[in-house]
Amino acid sequence: MLSIRELTAGYGKLEILHQLSVDIQVNHMTTILGANGSGKSTLLKSIFGLTTITGGSITYNDREIIGISTENISKLGIAYVPQRENIFASMTVRENLALAVRKASRAEAALRIDRAFDLFPILTKRANQRTGLMSGGERQMVAIAMGWLMNPSLMLLDEPTAGLAPLVAKEVFETLYNLSQKGITLVIVEQNARTALRWCEDVCILREGTLVYQGRNDAFAEDDSLLHTYLGLLSIGKQ
Amino acid sequence: MFERILIDSLIRSMQVGSLYALMALGITLTMSVLKLPNFAHAEFVTVGAYTALIVSRNVSTNPIIILGLSAIVASVVALVSHITVFRPFEKQKSSIYIMLLASFAVGLIIRYVLFLTADTFDLFDQRIQVPLEIWYRTDNFILSNVFFWVVPTSIVLVIALSLLLNATPLGREMRALADNFDLARVIGIPVERVKWLTWLLVGALAGISGALWGIQTSVSPLMGWVVILSVFAAAILGGLSSFPGTILGAYVVAFSENTIMQVLNFQFGLSFSFKPAIPFIIIVIVLLIRPEGFTQFFKSNRSLKR
Ligand SMILES: Nc1ncnc2c1ncn2[C@@H]1O[C@H](COP(=O)(O)OP(=O)(O)O)[C@@H](O)[C@H]1O
Ligand SMILES: [Mg+2]
Repeated sequence: MLSIRELTAGYGKLEILHQLSVDIQVNHMTTILGANGSGKSTLLKSIFGLTTITGGSITYNDREIIGISTENISKLGIAYVPQRENIFASMTVRENLALAVRKASRAEAALRIDRAFDLFPILTKRANQRTGLMSGGERQMVAIAMGWLMNPSLMLLDEPTAGLAPLVAKEVFETLYNLSQKGITLVIVEQNARTALRWCEDVCILREGTLVYQGRNDAFAEDDSLLHTYLGLLSIGKQ
Repeated sequence: MFERILIDSLIRSMQVGSLYALMALGITLTMSVLKLPNFAHAEFVTVGAYTALIVSRNVSTNPIIILGLSAIVASVVALVSHITVFRPFEKQKSSIYIMLLASFAVGLIIRYVLFLTADTFDLFDQRIQVPLEIWYRTDNFILSNVFFWVVPTSIVLVIALSLLLNATPLGREMRALADNFDLARVIGIPVERVKWLTWLLVGALAGISGALWGIQTSVSPLMGWVVILSVFAAAILGGLSSFPGTILGAYVVAFSENTIMQVLNFQFGLSFSFKPAIPFIIIVIVLLIRPEGFTQFFKSNRSLKR
């Protein structure tokens, strides 16, 4: 599935990820943790060709994807929900969703958009509202729905619950869990380590652009000091 | 007497404003979808006017054919400018200032090619060969056939353009590029193809407005350059993003240049040589006091930017 080997990437001459290697398991929910600035977003952006890559390889189903242009990555069955500006704020919910199914026939598109509304029923009432005027949680739902409408087998989500009230965050994770049950592989970057460890069975931890830990979430349940070791006190205090 | 002059200037404001609107919408579209403040738009307009002149002399005096061919030639020029100049700069991730300078350069090159052509074939200050007819007359004013081409054509084109943007998949994709370019790529919109189509559309708009401008006045290599400041003033009034704002801006600029100028001349003897300063004054005032232009007035409308 997704395999990253000795990836070196950054922005222009600035190198952020240093020979980072990580494998993502099919049908798992994997969380990527790490302090602010450790390179989590840069890793996801690199998969979509949005950074300067100077070394290593990224393969998806044994196919090298470095060099494939951003607009063609989604055709491989990978969807990406960025951390910021992950919706078209000047457009309505329906227009946003329609853009994600632009290749489908009119009837098929309508059907799939309806199913996206089933995924997040709250959005049904807001269908014709501009997303830029909606709450953070609703916007996040639109962004996730767009990603899901791309029909992905792998979904990359960058902090999908950042800034959301705990109850809304829980709802988002429940939806993501359901998607995972339907066979979509999920990679979720999270700020809130405890929430992420509850939902995601695989854990990767980044520090300063390198992978410092990869394992199962049960290791953390057994040994709380692991969190201290890898994430420091700050993240522990946050619930 | 004054009443007559006033009505005349109002008719002229409407006619000029409609053409400013067509040109300024092209600028707004380039700015928001292609992220380029394109000064070469002036020369796309002139190319349209010269095409109209040449077609009217050698091919046909049918306005539909004249406008159609002007649209085609100008859109090809626009697309070629993109492929040969703007895209290579984009690929190098050049800043907007470099892109602005590049657009000046493109405009300059086209302008001097037109000078050369005009020089060779003696095409300075020529009139397009469509007969001027009076279609409507009262005691106070006269409406020529030109008025009935320019104003309805502009209005129809503006309506068609907003339908395209708001009700078609291509329009939605253009708005997606304007709104969030990286996300447009992430969800698989073929951005380069959308850009090409945008350039063709922008060129066609410029070509048609150039042909109409040429029919209304006369054709010379500097004609686009002379109006570009007024057109930018209109686009800036629209915040370089709002369609309705840009259209309103176009009529405001045209009204200021014609009717207000006329009144100032009649009442206070202000010389008409002051007229070219009007768009400058509008731009400076808007940028100082209200840089977002009219966009706030049209909050409920979908603007091309957040
Ligand atoms: N577009 C950019 N240009 C230059 N540096 C950037 C850019 N985006 C992020 N960075 C830098 O890269 C580092 C890693 O950022 P990021 O991947 O966003 O971290 P995280 O998502 O883990 O918080 C930070 O030091 C940040 O300042
Ligand atoms: Mg981040």
